Amino acid sequence: MTEAAANPIRRFRAAELDLLGVLEVVIARGPKVLKNGLPNLAFFRAANAALARPDGETEGAGFTQVEFWLSLARELELVEVIDGCLQVTAAADEFYSAAADERLAMLRRAWLESRDLNEFALSHELELPSLKRGRTVDVTTDIPLAERMIEARREVVRIVEALLDETTLPDLIRRLERESRDLFISHQEDGSWRQVYYRGIRERGGREDVERDGSWELVEGAVLRLMCALPLDRLGWIEYEPRGQVITPLAEGPPAEPSFEAVVQPNFEVVALGDRPDPAALWRLARFTTPRPEGRVRTYVLERKPFADALGRGHSAAELIEFLAGLSRAPLPQNVRFSLDDWATLSERIKIWPDALLIEAEGVEDLSALLPARLLERLQPSRLSGGHYACPAPAPDALREVVPPRRTLLDYSRRLPPVIAPGEDTALVAPREELHLRARQLLALVSRGRSTDRYELDPTLVEQSAAALGSSELMRRIREGLSKSLSATLGLALRTWAGEFTRPYAGNAEVFLAENREQAELLDEMPEFRRWVDRRLAPGIFLLRAGGTAGVRELLKRLGIPMRDDARGR
Amino acid sequence: MKLHLHVGVVETIDESTLDEVLAVAQCTERVLARLAPNLAVLERDDAEKVIAALEANGLHPKVMR
Repeated sequence: MTEAAANPIRRFRAAELDLLGVLEVVIARGPKVLKNGLPNLAFFRAANAALARPDGETEGAGFTQVEFWLSLARELELVEVIDGCLQVTAAADEFYSAAADERLAMLRRAWLESRDLNEFALSHELELPSLKRGRTVDVTTDIPLAERMIEARREVVRIVEALLDETTLPDLIRRLERESRDLFISHQEDGSWRQVYYRGIRERGGREDVERDGSWELVEGAVLRLMCALPLDRLGWIEYEPRGQVITPLAEGPPAEPSFEAVVQPNFEVVALGDRPDPAALWRLARFTTPRPEGRVRTYVLERKPFADALGRGHSAAELIEFLAGLSRAPLPQNVRFSLDDWATLSERIKIWPDALLIEAEGVEDLSALLPARLLERLQPSRLSGGHYACPAPAPDALREVVPPRRTLLDYSRRLPPVIAPGEDTALVAPREELHLRARQLLALVSRGRSTDRYELDPTLVEQSAAALGSSELMRRIREGLSKSLSATLGLALRTWAGEFTRPYAGNAEVFLAENREQAELLDEMPEFRRWVDRRLAPGIFLLRAGGTAGVRELLKRLGIPMRDDARGR
Repeated sequence: MKLHLHVGVVETIDESTLDEVLAVAQCTERVLARLAPNLAVLERDDAEKVIAALEANGLHPKVMR
């Protein structure tokens, strides 16, 4: 028995570095997740290289260890898929803030209760042709379901915990075949015509399902071999020595104190040295650096982005620098300390909440006095310029508990109600209490404020906004933002200002020319225009009554639509 | 007091930095509101666009997720 294997927690500490390595590869690569729910092959290769004893991919062993640790990490929600990429979560920070024995207990529970992990699928000795990609069972098969596996794991743990002396794995398998033959798969009806084969289970490379008779050691034995080598050994129930296949029971004992140091180099590399590194300290380091767990020496590279990301998660630069200095015996190189300070200063110049709860102070409101204490305590919003507050958008339940009563919550992940009503001519009415930011944006694009709730469409602003956004986009926003459909008058004015319609013409012959059919139709809908029309000569051509040119010119001038002086151009 | 949920918020050290940031991300016209000279509110997608544009230009803002 080696010194490192003296008790479960020591045994686990060595294994936990493998989990850390897998998580560090997730941090460093943020791997894409494929349709089958698994990260890409490059991730598996990198994570495998980060293990203390990597699996031999070329020997057909696959990436069993990586799959195992990744399953446990998913079970504990240490990783999650965000925008199609695997990333570590805040739960991982909480996990590593727990004591080593608590982490061990969490990982043990995760394995014992895992419904997604199936050791039959994980074993490289077996092949399960009935398994779809993504490891879901879809046809008749003898592969045990999740409930059966959970029961079996508990039973296996109970058996190995009861071991008093050293034994060998073949002996244990023989014993279990004798005493617990139905551990994973029922053998009650073996010998009947229905129970000739392990349905859906083949030997690696085999062309037919394995026959039940005489194959317990091959099928169930493969799962037991995997359990001994991985969860039972790595999570500190036993020590398993693979070469001699020797199983040694472990006894409780004090954990070994971590012993390591970090060397911070002037090239911004941090090298972790020592035979008993502390996974929790390495995790903290990995969270503000780019880890390079592959290879024999763990290296962490100090870079701007992860450092800025750590600041965004609420750490201060001073705290991170102090932590780094605490890991190293020698003082931090001057250039490193200077750069970290510099990065922090630059990062603080631009702060972004990409998905925020914004608490807006209206008028002279002093939110620091108005906001409920439990909201400040629970959400810890940052105070912004102008007395506003912002924090990352909380979960709906957490928000409901702290939002002051009778306050409307405007949710911008949904379509907000249109709150701007068209008034007379080119006036708009928008009650201040109902005004959301999208409506305010629209008003700012096309109008000027006249009083608290009233706005006036401004031809110059509409023209500028149409040039910036495109007239069709601007008109779309206007139509969506108004609580009533556009009147003919407003539609004509806006579309002319936005450049969709050219200026109309009316001359001494009392003939009115509109270039565009829609423009003519909108004009035709306006009673003020129709009163000057004698008859419609053709689409877009109107014969006006006597004095009609002056009357129409006056009407359009009121709408901010100047007429052209030349009939040509039609 | 108004509560706006699921918006993007950008606060900079000064007004000209905010103008530059929005210009780099080509989001000047897409700002929902400028609540202060150095404080802009955007849709979430636009805020992500701002982050991506800044990072592509070697700037690493403090991102609160």
